[in-house]
Amino acid sequence: MPVLTINGTEVEVDRGTTLLKAAAVAGYEVPHFCYHPALSSPANCRMCLVEVEGAPKLMPGCYNQVNDGMIVHTESDRVKRARKAVLEFILVNHPVDCPICDKAGECKLQDYYFAYDAQESRMRAEKQHKVKVYPIGPRVVYDGERCILCTRCIRFCEEITGTGELTLADRGDKAEVRTFPGQDLDNDYSLCTVDVCPVGALTSRDFRFKRRVWLLTSTDSVCTGCEMGCNIHLDHFRNTTERYRPRYNPAVNDYWMCDDGRLSYKALNEGRLEHPMLNGAQATWHTIAGAAASKLAAVIEKNGASSVGFVISPQATSEDLFLAKMFAETAIGEGVRLFINGNDPGSSDELLIRADKNPNRAGARLVFGGLDGVGDASALADALEAGELEAVYMMGTELGAARGRVEAGLDDVGLFVLQAAHQGGVLLDAAHVALPAATHAEKRGTFVNCDAVVQTVDQAYPPNADALPDWQIFMKVAGAMGHKLPFTFLRQIQDRMFEASEAPEPEETATEEAPAPAE
Amino acid sequence: MEEKYLSRHFGIDKAYNLDVYEQQGGYSTLPKAFAMDTDAIIAEMKKSNLRGRGGAGFPTGVKWGFMPRDSDVEKYLVVNADEGEPGTFKDRMIMELDPHRLIEGCVMTAWALGLRTGYIFVRGELQLAIRRLEVAIKQAYEKGYLGKNVLGKGLDFDLYVHSSAGAYICGEETGLIEGLEGKPGQPRMKPPFPAIVGVFNKPTLVNNVETIAAVPFILEHGGEHWASMGIERNGGPKLYGLSGHINKPGVYEAPSGITVRELLERFGGGMREGSDLKAFIPGGSSCAVLLPESLDAQMGFETLREAGSSMGTGCITFMDQTTCMVRLSARLAHFYHHESCGQCTPCREGTGWAYKVLNAIEAGQGTPDDLALIQDMITGIAGNTICAHGDSLVIPVRSYIEKFGQEFEDHVQNKRCPFPRWRKMRNTQRMSA
Ligand SMILES: Cc1cc2nc3c(=O)[nH]c(=O)nc-3n(C[C@H](O)[C@H](O)[C@H](O)COP(=O)(O)O)c2cc1C
Ligand code: SF4
Ligand code: SF4
Ligand code: FES
Repeated sequence: MPVLTINGTEVEVDRGTTLLKAAAVAGYEVPHFCYHPALSSPANCRMCLVEVEGAPKLMPGCYNQVNDGMIVHTESDRVKRARKAVLEFILVNHPVDCPICDKAGECKLQDYYFAYDAQESRMRAEKQHKVKVYPIGPRVVYDGERCILCTRCIRFCEEITGTGELTLADRGDKAEVRTFPGQDLDNDYSLCTVDVCPVGALTSRDFRFKRRVWLLTSTDSVCTGCEMGCNIHLDHFRNTTERYRPRYNPAVNDYWMCDDGRLSYKALNEGRLEHPMLNGAQATWHTIAGAAASKLAAVIEKNGASSVGFVISPQATSEDLFLAKMFAETAIGEGVRLFINGNDPGSSDELLIRADKNPNRAGARLVFGGLDGVGDASALADALEAGELEAVYMMGTELGAARGRVEAGLDDVGLFVLQAAHQGGVLLDAAHVALPAATHAEKRGTFVNCDAVVQTVDQAYPPNADALPDWQIFMKVAGAMGHKLPFTFLRQIQDRMFEASEAPEPEETATEEAPAPAE
Repeated sequence: MEEKYLSRHFGIDKAYNLDVYEQQGGYSTLPKAFAMDTDAIIAEMKKSNLRGRGGAGFPTGVKWGFMPRDSDVEKYLVVNADEGEPGTFKDRMIMELDPHRLIEGCVMTAWALGLRTGYIFVRGELQLAIRRLEVAIKQAYEKGYLGKNVLGKGLDFDLYVHSSAGAYICGEETGLIEGLEGKPGQPRMKPPFPAIVGVFNKPTLVNNVETIAAVPFILEHGGEHWASMGIERNGGPKLYGLSGHINKPGVYEAPSGITVRELLERFGGGMREGSDLKAFIPGGSSCAVLLPESLDAQMGFETLREAGSSMGTGCITFMDQTTCMVRLSARLAHFYHHESCGQCTPCREGTGWAYKVLNAIEAGQGTPDDLALIQDMITGIAGNTICAHGDSLVIPVRSYIEKFGQEFEDHVQNKRCPFPRWRKMRNTQRMSA
């Protein structure tokens, strides 16, 4: 393996490593715009120029590869001058409209300007004007004046999605990103172009003008849009989630996530079940737990546990499902009819999108030791129509195509307990007891994805209104029924759960062999 | 009068037709070339000291030696006929007046290096050249100089004319390759060089029109003979395009190493009446400007470098005392700005900014800081770009400021251009031309 010296530090890296990556190994960040670790290197921005002793010209670190014995400087005066020049060139025609730009605060150009240029503009002439608000796709808006023509977005559409909608049109400082005639930037991952855009040239129509990003708090989480479980930054403001951004995990989603998943954050804020409800009237946890317990106990006493349909949710965390299992076994008892609801399967692709639109069916399978014999929502509807159930206790409100039939069937049961984060429309009306649950933004927990990767979601903010994590609700109701479930902390549940199931414990964070250069 | 090679047919009526070309002895050297193997041909090319005529002056024999020898990979010939450098107009003469010479050179090159497909990438504006080449290629196919099993020697070689969309940057060999592949003409990073990864990612030889047109002579008379018509490391006659305020602008053939003075006086007919030589650009607009004191410099890559400029395409622009150097540099900046592909930051943004500042100085709106700004700015471009286009602006502008700094300062100080109104001048010239 070649050994080279970077700013006096000796490093040994694989043949074929670029100078930029080798510098990261040596502990030096080389500023870059066009380079992205997941994309090819066109070496067009020239921000990453470094000095190699003996070479007449500076070299783009993102392109040139290491040689044995190379002596590289990434912080020499010559390099700094070149960086400053490149930044000044980029700003020659840049509108510098940071005050109204959504990227401000997380913009590479801003950051690098302060780090490497920080001088007043010497450009006196009129700037080149370009398109300011160009709807390049249904979810993305393009601003030609802010674009630094790094081609990251174009390469994303060529190399990651393979859809190739984008190209550069015109040339020189008139060049702009455009779609090919008759096309829109409308692939399933189009909002990733907003992430890869180092500046505010591509903005999300959903997030545009909503919030200055420095007001957001970011929590590590997982998207619940499908069983892939793409890792995300869940960005929130005053206990409201305002956007998802993909979080790098080479084992799951790399740097990406799909648009549907990204926009699924809205469900965290909408249609929430806020308070415990007893027969349509607001109640307190104190009264509701007792009411739910006595109603449920009455049904079991009268008709036996087999008259109770217990519906678990593949949207729930493994911890919640573990408590659901304990609840079903102890509080309801042997013979209980198990069902699993959830969103219906949808489209899938080769990249990230998986057909199962629920994040934790694999977790449910592990917790329940397989789901054989556990009926789906349409089996639930069948059982309801056949009059087999006297009571239904249901987690979550996702019922897919069987929704109508289930809703109709629920009209006739003696007891319907709904334990969910959402009102679920008619479901709340049908519920005799409604128990408000926390979303995955409001609690800690784990999901198991389709490839058996166990992933943690962190709590971003406290539960909305009266909501509680499902596992706590189960403990409350079970307790009121005289079954004390012995947990105080999530960790205790996890210890028991990992013992009981074959589920591997979650890895703390995604690790990599070598430090990766920044995106 | 010396014997003519490259321009031998320029005065012959309809030499662009195959029968006339053959009467003049055209294609008669093909059997001789086909009797030589790759090594022998490359050895002759090296001996000839032929330097690439596209501007960079890379030794042609050496470049040919870089081409991989395996016979099972597809390899391409690309003739760079994009001739777009301001002041350069020699390749079009070959294509318009003697297209079969170029085709014959292509066939020999293909034979030498085992190339099966060739493209002549012609600047879109050169419509006559394109038509002449197309007809000539058709004639050559009919006579069996192109196509399957050329002259029964087992060479399969197809040759196509590709009309460029007319962008200067497509003359840069990798921009050309991108253009040929149907993509925007944006130069590629090097390495890899085209000899390894070229058109359609296959090994590709890129040579200028005049370079390839010299091949039949070199193989006919031998490399040493070619080298003898030149100076050290610069072999053979070449075509010099002379323009500017001279009596007889045009394309002339003369040996390598001829002095600029001799070209000006013997071929160009000297400066026009009333014109004194103020400066000249020896090899196209991207070369540094030289003063009359350099008139005795020899036309060769090393000799002109010593004189502080470069040989470039060998097309010389002579300028008299009426030429405003500020306006000239602004005009050049305009050109390089307009033609920048826009890929890399320093060239995309720097050329336009340089143009704006130079134009402001020319218009009498410059400030005393502007000269330092320009120099600082072009230093930020120099050497920091993907292709040499950026430097093509830096080198001349730097030379104008260095050699005519006073003129720039006068513009700033007097807040106007001290030269007669250029608009009026250009109009009168047009009318008298
Ligand atoms: C901006 C730019 C424009 C160029 N334009 C031309 C051109 O029009 N014709 C040409 O033959 N070479 C041109 N070149 C040089 C080519 O890149 C290449 O060096 C040449 O075609 C090689 O052929 P040769 O070795 O026969 O000279 C240009 C180079 C640059 C950087
Ligand atoms: S829109 Fe953004 S990502 Fe695309 S080329 Fe412009 S700056 Fe780069
Ligand atoms: S130097 Fe200019 S022409 Fe060459 S690649 Fe960069 S932007 Fe394009
Ligand atoms: S040139 Fe290397 S990061 Fe853009």
